[in-house]
Amino acid sequence: MLLEIQDIQVHYNKVAALKGISLKVEEGDMITLIGSNGAGKSTTLRTISGLVHPSVGQIRFKGQRIDRLSPDKVLKLGIAHVPEGRRIFPGLTAIENLRLGAFIRKDKQAVERDLERVLDHFPRLRERAHQLASTMSGGEQQMLSIGRALMSKPKLLLLDEPSLGLAPVIVKHIKEIIGEVNREHGVAVVLVEQNAELALDLSRYGYVLETGSIAIEGEAKGLMGNEHVRRAYLGL
Amino acid sequence: MLEGNVVAVQCTSSALYRPFALYLLFVHLLRHKETSVDLILQTAVNSMVASSFFALMAVGLVLIFGVMGIVNFAHGELYMVGAYSVWFLYSANGWPFWLAVIGAFVIVTLIGLLMERTLFRPMRGNPLGGLINSIGVLFILQVLAVQLGGVGLMKTVIPPFPGSTTILNGVSISDQRIAALIVAIGLLVAMWLFLTRTRLGWALRAVSQDSEAAALQGININRISMLAMGLGAGTAGLAGALISPMTRVEPYMGHGVIITAFIVTIVGGIGSLSGAVLVAVLYGFFYTFVTTYVSGTVAMMLGLLIMLFVLIVKPNGLIGVRASE
Repeated sequence: MLLEIQDIQVHYNKVAALKGISLKVEEGDMITLIGSNGAGKSTTLRTISGLVHPSVGQIRFKGQRIDRLSPDKVLKLGIAHVPEGRRIFPGLTAIENLRLGAFIRKDKQAVERDLERVLDHFPRLRERAHQLASTMSGGEQQMLSIGRALMSKPKLLLLDEPSLGLAPVIVKHIKEIIGEVNREHGVAVVLVEQNAELALDLSRYGYVLETGSIAIEGEAKGLMGNEHVRRAYLGL
Repeated sequence: MLEGNVVAVQCTSSALYRPFALYLLFVHLLRHKETSVDLILQTAVNSMVASSFFALMAVGLVLIFGVMGIVNFAHGELYMVGAYSVWFLYSANGWPFWLAVIGAFVIVTLIGLLMERTLFRPMRGNPLGGLINSIGVLFILQVLAVQLGGVGLMKTVIPPFPGSTTILNGVSISDQRIAALIVAIGLLVAMWLFLTRTRLGWALRAVSQDSEAAALQGININRISMLAMGLGAGTAGLAGALISPMTRVEPYMGHGVIITAFIVTIVGGIGSLSGAVLVAVLYGFFYTFVTTYVSGTVAMMLGLLIMLFVLIVKPNGLIGVRASE
């Protein structure tokens, strides 16, 4: 078991954002959390990466408790978080953004190799290497954000709304990238999406979040056939 | 008295009075100073010194604001403590000048680190609280200076380099200013190299652009805050230390400095380092020329007017970046 979340609750100023969530991620796995705005999807990812701490419950990564750790410690254990809205550093160049993704790593030569690998993987980023990140398009910024996360050499990647605000053609491209990252790099992925169709198509297992709890869970294929999911999230 | 008139007339926005004000200014310039080429060159040299010190103060303020979101009102007092440290170590206790300058840097840096740890860190995400804390530090440091050094008699630091060098015929610069200029420019270049060429420098800029995203890259925000505060306070202390032989050392000397630093950072665009340096250079020339030809009071008033004008016309400053993008 790579990641195991046991019944976590998160409160923002006494208002419950998560009311007891449990989920599991296997090595090399791809799971998704779908749900509408405010269901607690982002909060779940933020809790895993240590930006917020649960008031109740446990999070274990490779058997080790991580629910009280700060984000830099969680990252060092191998969990990288691609936040909602991409959150690249606008005043730094693409290359500087990528290098900051490897901020915690001390193995300089391997970092250079991985930098080349990421640039090979995202040729668009190589073209824009010395351009300020703020001048890049939305799709390029999303690639940069994912590339930056890969620079830390994670075992688990948390992706928050990677398709948000992107044109359909770009969404398709990002979808392929996520699939490749999972298959070729062997990185386990927790994908948070409002685009349920994309998310369920990519993932092995899915959780449907509704107002801070898991309403339905199951194999992604099965969820696609679920009547409630079809009506509420797939618009069918 | 005439200066008063000029300002009063300038402040009335009536179009009728505007040409008259310019006329008064012009007459004033001609009557009081001979506008020789020498004086212009001399003032330009003095402007360079002013520019570099404005830049040092502004860059520190921008670093602290960028990383912690706190406007450090006590920045001028850190400068004052730097000057006092030199007075105490060099003038009163006979340390070598440069050793006293290093001592001042260490003392002020430590004060800055202490401020970060005890006052600013608990106020993270609360800019108003941080601001009020910094105003508290401002008064504490002023009162400490009065208590320890006394008020009334201004402290003077005898220049360690009393000579002067003639650059051109009729244009000379005191060796004290040359030394200060070289060190100030050296510091600015060192800071620029640090911020643009080193991993830690990128990390610092990353935190000031998006601290949460920076935390997700494994950057320890507390450490970067200490670094920004140490650098910001340290440079303010150094600026005060270097300027001490050229000015009067007194508890309220930080007052004018902080106003200047605010003008520079706001016109340059809050949070923009390049904007701060650019405007520091421009404003250094503007301020020194107006001070030489008219008066320091008018220079500062015009500076504040420019700041208000920029706030109205271009609220993000000349090189301001929108925070949300």
